Amino acid sequence: MLARLERPPPLPYAPGVPLLRLCVNGETHEVAAPPQRTLLEALRYDLGLTGSKQGCDKGDCGACTVLAKALGAPGRGEAILACITLAADAQDLAVTTIEGLAGPSGLDPVQRAFADCGALQCGFCQPGMMLSARALLDKNPQPKLAQIQAALSGNLCRCTGYTKIYEAVEVAAGLRMPSSRAPVQSERAAASDSKAQTVKEFAP
Amino acid sequence: MSMKLPSDGAGFPSGESALSGARSTEGIGARLPKSDGGVKADGSGLYADDLSFPRMLHAKFLRSPHAHARIRNVDVSKALAHPGVVATLVGSELPARYGVIPWTHDEQALATDKVRFIGDEVACVAALDERTAEEACRLIEVDYEVLPKVLTPEDALAHPEVKVNEKAKDGNITKHVHLEFGPVDEAIAKAASIARQTYRYAGSTHAPIEPHCAVARVDADGNLTLWSSTQIPHYVQREVSRVLGIPQSKLRVIQPLLGGAFGGKSDPFSLEFCACKLALKTGRPVKILFTREEVFYAHRGRHPMTMDVTVALDGDGRIAAVDDKILIDGGAYASFGMITAYYAGQLLTGPYRFGTYRFDSFRMYTNKPPCGPKRGHGSVQPRFAFEVALDEAGEKLGLDPMEVRRRNFIGEEVDTVNGQRITSNGFLKCLELVEQASGWKERRGKLGRGRGLGVAGSMYISGTAYPVYPNEMPQSGVLVKLDRSGRVTVYSGASDIGQGVNTLLCQIAAEELGCDARNVTVVAADTDLTPVDLGAYSSRVTFMNGQAAREACQKLAEKLRAAGGSTFAEACQKAEAAEGAPLAATGGYRTVKLGGNYRGGTIGASPAYSFTAHVAEVEVDEETGIWRVHRIWAAHDCGKALNPTLVEGQIEGSVYMGAAEAHMEEMVYDQRGLLFGPSLLDYRIPTTVDTPALDAYIVESNDKNGPYGAKEAGEGPLHPAIPAIANAIYDACGIRIRELPFYPQRVLKLLRERDARRDALAAQEKGQGRVA
Amino acid sequence: MMTLPSVEVLRPRTVAEAVEALAAHQGARVLAGGTDIVPNLKYGMYETQHLVALRGLSSELRYLREEQGELRIGALCTIDELAENSLLREKLPALAEACAGIAGPQLRRMGTLGGNLCLDTRCVYINQSHFWRSALGFCLKKDGTVCHVVAGGKRCVAAASNDSAPVLLSYDASVKLVSPRGERVVKLRDFYLADGVHNTVVERDELLVEVRIPRGTSSLKQAFYKLRTRAAIDFPALNLAVAIRVSSGRAESIALSVSALAARPAIIKGLDDLIGKPADARLAEELGRRAHKQCKPLTNIGTDPEWRRDILPVLVRRTTLRALGLS
Repeated sequence: MLARLERPPPLPYAPGVPLLRLCVNGETHEVAAPPQRTLLEALRYDLGLTGSKQGCDKGDCGACTVLAKALGAPGRGEAILACITLAADAQDLAVTTIEGLAGPSGLDPVQRAFADCGALQCGFCQPGMMLSARALLDKNPQPKLAQIQAALSGNLCRCTGYTKIYEAVEVAAGLRMPSSRAPVQSERAAASDSKAQTVKEFAP
Repeated sequence: MSMKLPSDGAGFPSGESALSGARSTEGIGARLPKSDGGVKADGSGLYADDLSFPRMLHAKFLRSPHAHARIRNVDVSKALAHPGVVATLVGSELPARYGVIPWTHDEQALATDKVRFIGDEVACVAALDERTAEEACRLIEVDYEVLPKVLTPEDALAHPEVKVNEKAKDGNITKHVHLEFGPVDEAIAKAASIARQTYRYAGSTHAPIEPHCAVARVDADGNLTLWSSTQIPHYVQREVSRVLGIPQSKLRVIQPLLGGAFGGKSDPFSLEFCACKLALKTGRPVKILFTREEVFYAHRGRHPMTMDVTVALDGDGRIAAVDDKILIDGGAYASFGMITAYYAGQLLTGPYRFGTYRFDSFRMYTNKPPCGPKRGHGSVQPRFAFEVALDEAGEKLGLDPMEVRRRNFIGEEVDTVNGQRITSNGFLKCLELVEQASGWKERRGKLGRGRGLGVAGSMYISGTAYPVYPNEMPQSGVLVKLDRSGRVTVYSGASDIGQGVNTLLCQIAAEELGCDARNVTVVAADTDLTPVDLGAYSSRVTFMNGQAAREACQKLAEKLRAAGGSTFAEACQKAEAAEGAPLAATGGYRTVKLGGNYRGGTIGASPAYSFTAHVAEVEVDEETGIWRVHRIWAAHDCGKALNPTLVEGQIEGSVYMGAAEAHMEEMVYDQRGLLFGPSLLDYRIPTTVDTPALDAYIVESNDKNGPYGAKEAGEGPLHPAIPAIANAIYDACGIRIRELPFYPQRVLKLLRERDARRDALAAQEKGQGRVA
Repeated sequence: MMTLPSVEVLRPRTVAEAVEALAAHQGARVLAGGTDIVPNLKYGMYETQHLVALRGLSSELRYLREEQGELRIGALCTIDELAENSLLREKLPALAEACAGIAGPQLRRMGTLGGNLCLDTRCVYINQSHFWRSALGFCLKKDGTVCHVVAGGKRCVAAASNDSAPVLLSYDASVKLVSPRGERVVKLRDFYLADGVHNTVVERDELLVEVRIPRGTSSLKQAFYKLRTRAAIDFPALNLAVAIRVSSGRAESIALSVSALAARPAIIKGLDDLIGKPADARLAEELGRRAHKQCKPLTNIGTDPEWRRDILPVLVRRTTLRALGLS
């Protein structure tokens, strides 16, 4: 069933949608969005910054992590969750998304290390993970393993078992080189006396 | 023979490979960073939900609130009248049944006659935005007649009159398999040690961080394009075209970047059919994005299994018989369930020699979200039970868990009891590595109260012998094109789901052609542009797609060598001139005849098997039952590590996922069949601070059938984690836990039973002492 | 993705403006860190038309100061800054520890102390989508008439899940509430009600602006414990705090609070007879026994209630020993 086309196309939102001023990656954008717009929706759908991901939509997974600080404050700020931040309430914040992490000279060392160390498998949780890692290193340039684990404990990853993520953070911090453990060759083994047995099938 | 532990020193490896003799630092064996690492690192890579088109509509599902009900009527008129709604869809508009396995077409995009679980899709609404679509769904009126339901496989067996799925010929049985290899009962009767117990494996789900998403768009000529977060573009193309009644040639399926799958995106799903149908109906692009809750209803995760297992050893500690009765809880639809019923038995017969073997498995329909293939499909559950039973039977003979596994090693170039051919087998080396790395000999038994070590082994397939629909065409195809600029383009149907096959294709091109891996473009998983590959399931991709790529590249390499030239680009130009046509070549992986000569004998037959051994170290708090894994050492025989970094990633990710199933993951339902906590808060997957230290070791056995000797690495390494943890808990505190997850309350209960037994024994001894 | 219902977001700049806004709009709700209310709104748990966002009050309500011997904490202090605060970690280690264990790092940076104290009660049957709750047949707390936890129950038993509450109860802390009608200071032990639908005394036009911790709290022997399935991003399956004043090796005062049971955090009662007893392992053991007697975990939390009750004495004993420096 198709809706009758003569019906005037309705507006998705009530008239008088206000303009939000959002400072993202150093640029100020004006966005026409309803007040209940989340920061994640504004980033992904209004500003086209789809690098911030949504995995759970309610603050459980960390895929939407962005960095935020009060407008005018130094640095990049701290990792927060865009999916449960209202865009209207983020107007006093300066936000950095994954798109704002790389500079004109290329990827941020965290991004480079994640790519080089195999910390990125499917890559979906990683924008949030890398931003959490960046915020950690901004505050603590030489973290211990336990500090890395604590700082990343709000970002769920389903691919890596986190091991190569720790490695990447340590590589980005200049604390180690990427893993290089060599594979071990197995010797040829003889066959045992195993043999296929006569099969009895059950016919249902 | 002495062996040194591999060092974890600094510096990059040379990338040299003994097998191929390659010099390239970007070829086979190199730790080449992933080819899509850059776009994944800078956030520019596009996943399905990142796509957006002008005039795009958003669609949402109305789902069944009943576990089992007949649909008398669906009235969408109010939804259709809701401002902002553009179109609705009900089951009768696309009634054809489908399923990933051609013999069990038992699903519909939207239910027509019946709903079979809470969350089953009933109707779909496309609107200008998601909220409007969701609101309109609530305006749809459905008249249900609630039916009796079955929620457990036991009930499903006992109540054949409550028919969950009409596809079942007999009651609620999706599939029953009974196979016996040799005189099992005779062997058990003569055994020196028998371990016979019941084990329960809980259902768990994949929980990829990316929820399923599909975007469909139709052009003016009626060509339909579907972007979907799928790991099986080819099967999706087949099923969607069939259900929608459009030629396959008019439907193009593209898999964008995929945010994790683990088997959870290897069925065709309702959102793909509905997005396409709604795009056709409205002439507008349509996006459907599952909420996290809906991902839980789509499920296709680990089957709950109840297993009655008998392991019988002879006086030498050799496995004389294994007998396994398996009851499988399948959920409302078949998915891969027919295969699950076979895999539950067929994949157990290594790395150890079985004297005789019997398994009997029932895969049952129940009124719950359908189970399917989760990483280590079908075989993770029986492996857990078997590896615990093996420890137990061995212990009765005084055998160290390492020793009982060594003693039963099946070897190489050998047939299993069920007629599968094992070629290479590096299991002994795996065992040796984890034994040394964990300090098994020195540390076991000396770790102090509540702390212990456990070991387990496993085997897994590198692809299945046959495609899921019978055909003679290659299972995987690759087309390689050389440009006169020196750019190499690899067109491959295979799905990179994060495991890194696109990177391997670059490495294979670099290896064979001598080009720079960074000069290779991979065009992948686009049914218009790339040859068919059957999909990322059964750990087949590296093995089969790798063979296809290698074959294509080798054809071109010959021409380049003949042409000569001082640079790669020059060689390409000379070769193209000599050819008089653009330079391209194809390669394929062709089905080889494999498997036992009996019904079902081809299921579980694989051109090569991978092997894994784990040691886990756990600590149990005996007062509360709370336990944790400190470290898991995992060694995996992947044949040849085409890219050790990627292989390690697969091992680590697998071990993590296995440990998670042992620890905390379970799909729990209430008496209505309602899934508790379908969210990433309630369904807890481990964070950084829950995950044990993981230590991955790669073993290379250089398989004769694999590309450059490679076998699978993505699923096998999950298996031993669960039994290794269970065996470590036994070592730590003397309890055998046989039910997943190993909740602390279960551990505590077993500890109390242990104490009661000890007390009774002490009292008895005291009593006897008095008599004496 | 899950979307929010349409709401108006009001952005006051002062406490006075904020409480005026609350008073002016029926059903208005407070948005501080958003970590609790936004997911609940997405789940359709409230009919709210207006959100009063407090970010503009940060300069007014984000402080930690000593006044009249009390430690006063502004309600908009984030959980993270309390967890990381070196003074707090030294002087009020149980509170710092409780804060450090809340949710995950991002949520701790967003969430506030006031928000944690006013956290809505939680239950496996309520914190789900509208669809899920419709399949359940809804419940007492919202849209329904049945309790799925207590058969025949007429009062909602959704669980208080604030990790800061048991500690602040063990400190005998107070909170300051402001409304257009004035302000009042309420002892935390009188703050919570045994009704899961609305489990605090906060009126609809009131705002919790400050937490007051009595003089001398830093000399209490104190500890906090949170039982949880997952080591991060998890609410408590049970939490407890113990605070004991010890003088010459004997207990001068004892406070023990246990939460994540029902709508109201439990204060373990009848401990007077233990005053004056040696602050030792036997006391720890005895506190465990008393807690076990008085606490009845329910199925409102998806972790086996029998087991939670079973191990409570062990958890109390160990936490007490830790507080006493004896573990």
